[in-house]
Amino acid sequence: MAEPLIRMQNIRKSYGRVQALEDASFHVNEREIVGLLGDNGAGKSTLIKVLSGAVPLTSGDIFIRGKKVNLRSTSDAIAHGIETIYQDSALVTQLSIARNLFLGREPIKPPRFLNRMDQDAMNNVARDLLKQVGISKNIPPTTPIGSLSGGERQAVAIARAMHFDSDLIILDEPTNNLGVAETQGVLSFVRSARDSGHSCIFIAHNIHHVFQVVDRIVVMRRGKVVADDIDPKKTSVAEVEQIITGMSDKEIRDAIADGKPSH
Amino acid sequence: MENRSLIQRLIARPEFGPFVLLIIEITVFWGFNHDFLSPQNISNTLAFTVELGLIALAMTLLMTSGEFDLSVGSLFGFSPVLMWTLFNSGVTSLEVGFLVALLVAALIGLVNGWFVTQLKIPSFLVTLGMLLVVRGTALFVTDGFPQRTWSAEGSWLAEALVGDFFIGPFRIYMSLFWFIAAAIALGYVLTQSRTGNWIQAAGGNPNAARARGVNVSGVKIGLFILSSVMASLAGVISSLRTSAANPNSGTGYELEVIAMVVIGGTALTGGRGTIIGTVLGILILRVMRNGIVLIGVPGLAYNIFIGAIILGMMALHSWLERRHQAGT
Repeated sequence: MAEPLIRMQNIRKSYGRVQALEDASFHVNEREIVGLLGDNGAGKSTLIKVLSGAVPLTSGDIFIRGKKVNLRSTSDAIAHGIETIYQDSALVTQLSIARNLFLGREPIKPPRFLNRMDQDAMNNVARDLLKQVGISKNIPPTTPIGSLSGGERQAVAIARAMHFDSDLIILDEPTNNLGVAETQGVLSFVRSARDSGHSCIFIAHNIHHVFQVVDRIVVMRRGKVVADDIDPKKTSVAEVEQIITGMSDKEIRDAIADGKPSH
Repeated sequence: MENRSLIQRLIARPEFGPFVLLIIEITVFWGFNHDFLSPQNISNTLAFTVELGLIALAMTLLMTSGEFDLSVGSLFGFSPVLMWTLFNSGVTSLEVGFLVALLVAALIGLVNGWFVTQLKIPSFLVTLGMLLVVRGTALFVTDGFPQRTWSAEGSWLAEALVGDFFIGPFRIYMSLFWFIAAAIALGYVLTQSRTGNWIQAAGGNPNAARARGVNVSGVKIGLFILSSVMASLAGVISSLRTSAANPNSGTGYELEVIAMVVIGGTALTGGRGTIIGTVLGILILRVMRNGIVLIGVPGLAYNIFIGAIILGMMALHSWLERRHQAGT
């Protein structure tokens, strides 16, 4: 089998005496949307923080296309093609859409010593990208991020990751605090990112959102990956919930026999 | 329609409020006393305005990046003292003394920036400490007495910085051109250059900027250096023009300069700044100071007006900001 895009092997991470990750192993294939699920404290956030360079791992290895990498900072991770999108935190609200898209990689107009941004080029690219991620409203690329809705901000962050060819886009709770229509918008941005060749890790508390968009579900519990090949087309939401809560078949049967609702 | 939206966009600009205020100010003062717009009064007002203005321009960029500098007033006093002390004691020529003063200022800016970005101490505390160190040094070196300055006549440095000539009835100092050049250059940096995008991002959301590979600390340190050097340059210009180098000069300028910048529409919290607004803010405060004296209001009442302007403009900016965020 081909080497996956990302492989995390035997990852351990402890905060003092607290073991946040215990031998967690995880992979993401090319052009795949992986849903990462788990209860609070299961280790999802820590795993993602390790992968996005935000926290150093205690032990374990990370491979990108089979090559071992050392991710020391978020910009390190971005340089390796791993982009993490936290709600609201990745954008500068005072700057325009176009200026946010190109922040840190602004195209320069010749002569270069004038250090002048090519704002026309930035705005044109931004306009195309907004169309590509499916923002239907006519929003000029010079609009400041501060006047966009939560869903539109997610779209801009996703568009940025797509434009700069991030291989892996990590979305941490992208549908939190969003309305129904906006959630559908974000889910379709995620699909269009996959369709144009990017892989995604999708983390959400709302399992139904995860089921709508992902190709494969990975479940974590108490710092370990307990299931990493759940097909959302062949598995029910209730079954996945059982895996998340960690009840055995017998416990589940007992729970049902006791008349407790399993969901 | 197109026309109307153009006007709407103009009104929505942060510089619009200050612009209207300046026009009102000028009209009112002129109405009370026609001498207000006399060539002599305009020339006199401009001479000192551009000196404070140079500091305000640099402060605009620094504040856009989310920091500010309280040590500029003390550098305004210290730098000319240093230059003249070196020159009077025969250690260096005036020009070399000037370069040394700028270099020392740059070093002070570097220290400010280093404390703020590397030790993560708020710029308020760092530059307040630096204010005392620099002012204290100026007083100590001079025993509190002004330095002799009479020998600047004819030096090319003095000519280049404050040489004066008449355009019609207006007496213009060279420093006006330095101010205009600095305003254009820094306005360009802030709005057109890649560095400007980084400055705004550093003030708006430093973590996001860092994640995109922007060297936030580098940007801020550079701006602290710029702020110190501009304050030093302004002090030297003022000293050459008035033939005085008093270790106490510049006291309180830091607050006046910060007021100029925020009145113009730059956010105290960073992320948004405007050089055009700052130029308007500079003029608003200097015209106010000059005008209330001309119309016979006691000069001691000046601060009442300044305070009222600051409060009024802050209310206006916050209202515009909320409208802006609401997307209207």
